Amino acid sequence: MAGPLAPERTPDTTPGEDYDLDRPWVTVVWDDPVNLMTYVTFVLQELFGYDEQTATELMLQVHHEGKAIVSSGPRERMEHDTSRLHAYGLWASYQRDA
Amino acid sequence: MRPFRRRGDELVARLVDAEASIVGLLLDQLEQLLAADPEDSGGDPVVERLLPPGHASDPEIAADYRDLTEAALRSGKADDLAIVRATLPPEGGEVRLDDDQARAWLRTTNDLRLALGTRLGVTAETEPPEDPTEEEGSQLAVYYWLTAVQGSLVDALVAGRGGRR
Repeated sequence: MAGPLAPERTPDTTPGEDYDLDRPWVTVVWDDPVNLMTYVTFVLQELFGYDEQTATELMLQVHHEGKAIVSSGPRERMEHDTSRLHAYGLWASYQRDA
Repeated sequence: MRPFRRRGDELVARLVDAEASIVGLLLDQLEQLLAADPEDSGGDPVVERLLPPGHASDPEIAADYRDLTEAALRSGKADDLAIVRATLPPEGGEVRLDDDQARAWLRTTNDLRLALGTRLGVTAETEPPEDPTEEEGSQLAVYYWLTAVQGSLVDALVAGRGGRR
């Protein structure tokens, strides 16, 4: 694995930050007072296949900053991601990336 | 209530009679909300929270999203609710779930918490009731009881996931 010159962590490629002009839509999860932190982390892993650390970081971003981008891609896929999050009761919406 | 724990392939909890009855009543109420004509329930903050707008600020996109997804979301929630009802011992006792049934319980207990939390105006600062016997206190006590049920189920599912690796 990583040799002595490798960075301790791979560059921060938090999902949603690596979009480009071909992928101008994002799905956002918003903070709400009901959903449990453990539940939000579980759902992000379940729906998007994130590892536990990534899902936890996104959950904490939602909790502390009020929202986090959890996926990015074509509009149709963001509609789909939003509806999967709504099925689990997370407060989510999609939008064209600013 | 004995919280959910993983036992082999199953997730197992135990509810007493009164707890099972309360869950049954809440399921009836949630079922009515989900079955109501969207035209009639428009503006109900609970329905709005269970089926939120797909776009935060653009009403046209939000309307498109609703046309596209609302029927499937409502029927998915109704399916989950039916699974919870079928696995709930009506007079209390053991609840035994496989992984798919456990996910239905997760989503439905979350919907019940969202519904109650919205009705009661729960915020990040809300605390468990001091007097659970008084009307509002008792509803808040149910909310916190559901939180404990759902929390134990999440923990049991996460623990099982680690164990299977």
